[in-house]
Amino acid sequence: MRLGDWYDRNAFWIFPSASVVFIMGLMIFPLGYTIYNSFTDWSLTHGDQVNFVGLKNYIDIFLNDDRFWGAVGRTIYFTGLAMAVEVTLGVLIAVLFDARDFRGKRVARSIFLMAMMATPVAVAMVWMLIFEPTAGVLNYLVKASGLEAILREHAGIAKLLWITDSASVIPSLVLVDIWEWTPLISLIVIAGLATLSREPYESAMVDGATPFQIFFRITLPMIAPTIGVAALLRLVDCLKTFDIIYVMTMGGPGYSSETLNIYTYQMSFQYFNFGYASALLVVFFVFVLGVSLLVAHFRRGLEL
Amino acid sequence: MAKVELKNIEKTYEGDVRAVSAANVVIEDREFVVFVGPSGCGKSTTLRMIAGLEEITSGELWIDGELVNDIPPKDRNIAMVFQNYALYPHMTVYENMAFGLRIRKIANAEIDKRVQEAAKILSIQEYLHRKPRALSGGQRQRVAVGRAIVRNPKVFLFDEPLSNLDAKLRVQMRTEIAKLHNRLKATMIYVTHDQVEAMTMGDKIVVMKDGVIQQIGSPLLLYDHPCNHFVAGFIGSPPMNFLDGKLRRDGERLLAEGEGFSFVVADNHLEALLKAPHPEVVIGIRPEHMGIAAQDQIDNILSAHVTVIEELGAEAHMYMSRRADDMENLIARLEQRHGYRIGDNIRLSPDMERVRYFDAVSGEALLGVIGPIRMSSRRSALAQG
Repeated sequence: MRLGDWYDRNAFWIFPSASVVFIMGLMIFPLGYTIYNSFTDWSLTHGDQVNFVGLKNYIDIFLNDDRFWGAVGRTIYFTGLAMAVEVTLGVLIAVLFDARDFRGKRVARSIFLMAMMATPVAVAMVWMLIFEPTAGVLNYLVKASGLEAILREHAGIAKLLWITDSASVIPSLVLVDIWEWTPLISLIVIAGLATLSREPYESAMVDGATPFQIFFRITLPMIAPTIGVAALLRLVDCLKTFDIIYVMTMGGPGYSSETLNIYTYQMSFQYFNFGYASALLVVFFVFVLGVSLLVAHFRRGLEL
Repeated sequence: MAKVELKNIEKTYEGDVRAVSAANVVIEDREFVVFVGPSGCGKSTTLRMIAGLEEITSGELWIDGELVNDIPPKDRNIAMVFQNYALYPHMTVYENMAFGLRIRKIANAEIDKRVQEAAKILSIQEYLHRKPRALSGGQRQRVAVGRAIVRNPKVFLFDEPLSNLDAKLRVQMRTEIAKLHNRLKATMIYVTHDQVEAMTMGDKIVVMKDGVIQQIGSPLLLYDHPCNHFVAGFIGSPPMNFLDGKLRRDGERLLAEGEGFSFVVADNHLEALLKAPHPEVVIGIRPEHMGIAAQDQIDNILSAHVTVIEELGAEAHMYMSRRADDMENLIARLEQRHGYRIGDNIRLSPDMERVRYFDAVSGEALLGVIGPIRMSSRRSALAQG
């Protein structure tokens, strides 16, 4: 009885304590430790001891590291391109999917979502084969469709090199990302569309709007908050995309597909410069956080 | 403004579900017509066909002398107020009202003039820059009405616009819509399942059931001369009392007899009832015609005991049963203070001259009905059915 009373009075900290320990141990501590490391020159390659170097790593990153700035640019390029196509395509597919009921709609939707369920590493491996310039199916299709001849004649391109060419590597990687993640956006938007009431559409029809006007002035604004959620999720994922790049190009050729995440990985697990890599991680963390907050703030403006 | 005409309008859904059968209605210019009936009776479908939101399976729909079957809603020049308001959630009240005008590329100055004017009529000027979610149900419904007003349409359509409002607001909006009709002098078509709304608002009421129009007429015509058992029971609150009875000749007199009663048919009903196809009839008595019998009265007595009394102040509704299990609900409307209590035995005396009779088999009214009541559509529907 007394123990029961004690529980009742103290439940407010007993129950959350497990998750507090969990969050402290697995999130706060690593974050704090990384921030601490970022002020040191900890490296496995120069042996001896770890020195506290203050802001040196950060100064180097921002002032003396061209590779970092290149990675920032590529991260933005990759994310921007992927987001633009994925959101547009995802919304379009969702709207088309929602427009009409048909037999087997649920089955079709499940099949459609399969790409998302595949393991990213496996996906990357398969796409490497698809992209392979000589034996890959993509170039086979380019050839079979007669596109190759056109390209050779008008653009002077003998063969599309996909991920092995520095100009086309990021768009090619983006293609894989689009293939895998557009369904996620569609899924979320389909759910959003399902919650909309039909009446505003009918009202707009009676008000005299054309289907085109209804889409752009009624449907789109009404699902904008949902699109915002989907976009935010994808944005964070895109910024930190790692798996497909790691497997397919490892940042290559050269540095031409090296994003921030890949660069940080190289710095820590190839060069073992843990101090510098920690500083990169902190910068990356602040960058992702900042962009996400910005988008979240912007999204609130779309709220109905 | 415009006259709306429904000629043999039918709506059949996939799988041969007939939602509306051979509807024939003429809605005159500036008339306020109410479609009323229980849910699923086809009234909303009919309205949506007029709006163009549902395809017309067969028949002709004429608005202002133009056949509009194949004209899309946007070109019909109608405005509709929906049950759930159907406001555009992402637009302010002002933009909600202006939307239909902007689509039609009307000049901004004109839009502003019309929106302000409508806002004034509906007293929603203060909310013009709010979004719908910041408004109460009643305010939203006003905006929905305002959106219709600014369009200045040929016909206003209302699809159960008040059913989401609370009782008090509903009564208030009811009068406001009626006032609006007087003011705008527009053709209005109003759908409701609430017969009180129908009675209080309509110039003309169209009663529907199972997709078939039962009767069309003014509120009082429907009340006094319902064409069948259904309309009699549907129109009026509290509802009409129904007693199963049998007609029997007794010398010069015609008696309507049933469980515990023997009524003498009034002289004004004799001629019609003598021609009744079956002796089995349903006797319909409005609660206000359920009088209390005088002490010495012998004929036309109905004995029952009181089960519930609803005191409304100006009047009282007394529920009674002839049966011991109280399962019957006979209702009398008493206008004076009465002094009865639950359990009292009571001797009722219906006003025999105002009682209605219906055929027990077909439900049709046996007394001649007045006016353009029995629609040809009913007969054709029965013939097809």
